[in-house]
Amino acid sequence: MGPGRLSTPRAWIASFGEITAFSARVMGEVVGLGVFRFFGEALRQAGILILSSTLVIWGLIFIIGLQCGIEGAYFNRAAGTPAYAGVFTAWCDLRELVPYAFGYMMAAKVGTGIVAEIGSMRISDEIDALEVMGISSMTFLCATRLLAAWLVLPFMYLAGIGAGFFASYLAVVQQIGEVSSGGFLQVFWMFQNPPDLLFSVIKAMAMATAIVLVGCYYGYTAGGGPVGVGTATAKSMVVNIVLVHLIGMLGTQVFWGANPRAPIGG
Amino acid sequence: MAAQDEQRREDGRAADDGAAVRFVDVHKSFGRNHILRGLDLAIPDGRISMILGPSGTGKSVCIKHMVGLLYPDRGDVLVHGRSVPAMRDDELFEMRKKFGVLFQDGALFGSMDLYDNVAFPLRQHTDKGEDEIEDIVMRRLREVGLEGSRDKMPNELSGGMRKRAGFARALVLDPDIVLFDEPDSGLDPVRTALLCELIEEVHAENGGAYVVITHDIMSARRIAEYIAVLWRGKIVESGPAAELFDSGNEFVRQFLAGASSGPLGME
Repeated sequence: MGPGRLSTPRAWIASFGEITAFSARVMGEVVGLGVFRFFGEALRQAGILILSSTLVIWGLIFIIGLQCGIEGAYFNRAAGTPAYAGVFTAWCDLRELVPYAFGYMMAAKVGTGIVAEIGSMRISDEIDALEVMGISSMTFLCATRLLAAWLVLPFMYLAGIGAGFFASYLAVVQQIGEVSSGGFLQVFWMFQNPPDLLFSVIKAMAMATAIVLVGCYYGYTAGGGPVGVGTATAKSMVVNIVLVHLIGMLGTQVFWGANPRAPIGG
Repeated sequence: MAAQDEQRREDGRAADDGAAVRFVDVHKSFGRNHILRGLDLAIPDGRISMILGPSGTGKSVCIKHMVGLLYPDRGDVLVHGRSVPAMRDDELFEMRKKFGVLFQDGALFGSMDLYDNVAFPLRQHTDKGEDEIEDIVMRRLREVGLEGSRDKMPNELSGGMRKRAGFARALVLDPDIVLFDEPDSGLDPVRTALLCELIEEVHAENGGAYVVITHDIMSARRIAEYIAVLWRGKIVESGPAAELFDSGNEFVRQFLAGASSGPLGME
């Protein structure tokens, strides 16, 4: 294998190392409380996140909840067990598709928005302006966004799960209607419990953290004018979609791989 | 590395001769491009200095070295006798409070209106109340003729207004050193003249070291008290403005006369 063929994987590894080092610095500013010098900015970013992204995230999760419900109802009808549609929908919603839908919309709306905003600031010298004012631009721009995400997103996600559950209920009970409301809900709640909810939140928050950090990295390191910002935005989307699936897969494996946590048998 | 930094501090103390900023044999490359090739320059305190030179000779790179946005590959940069590359992050952020920088396009924060842009450094670095901040901000905005535009967003301002707004923001912390990165770029000759007048007036009122990076000879004739001419990464000649305009150096004469014949060609 010649050096030319190795250059691409080498570049990927180098990028991965740079993103990791950058993320460690940003997380260090949040965990080390350095970000609280700019708590007002973090609150401003939290407000922007709530106002600009909540409805679109809940909307996508609602649609995914409908899908889980429809698929669950038809699958269980085909298996001759329509009363057990709640098994499929409980797992589909909480464990898999709600975290994925949340991750997709976070990457598309929040991640790309961060790249575009910080990247534009980079090419118009605004980041240099912050630095020469004696303000750590990484803390002000990146750590505040991460703190804002951590403050807002757990609650947004929990409400999103509610939207997904409601949509599944509508699809199974009201639209297809082969199981009663009580029958569906009994099975639906039987196949999930609080630790599952916690695992789902951890999965989604890991995705959100990765998306915010990747967005900050590509924005902060953008160069080459508006075209460079566009390229960085596209790259961040690719990296984030891959990360969302990696985190989703690993989360399922870690949380439910060894123990499916199903009330079946012993 | 620590020994090198200590040596830089020692050298800095020795070189603290009243220069606001001093470059000592500074080399800087980007890939294969050698931008600065042994730059030696002392920016005098209390005067308006100009760094003149053709496009692409490293004038903006000089500014970035002064405020620690770039570090030299070799050599040293001293601000009031202290080595910038040897500073720790917290020292660097503290040192930067001495500076006000006017970037080419103003570099105003797009998410804030004009008032908040100018108030931003005061809110971040002082304990002043909003009333006092408003007094200072409005005084600076009046100074640059923008008191009527306080609620406008940066994208609602013309290029000249953005520069003046950036100037107001650069001045708001009463910096010891103010850097102007091509303040005349994109401005018509009349507005360039007005901006030069403004720089001169504000300097007369506030004092400090003003460093203007430009390739506009008219601006240099209007306001420069001290001139350094940069070419191919080195200072060709520096000194009081009157001396430079009478220079015998072939390149300096060509550049300051804007003549087409001489050592500087299209390459």
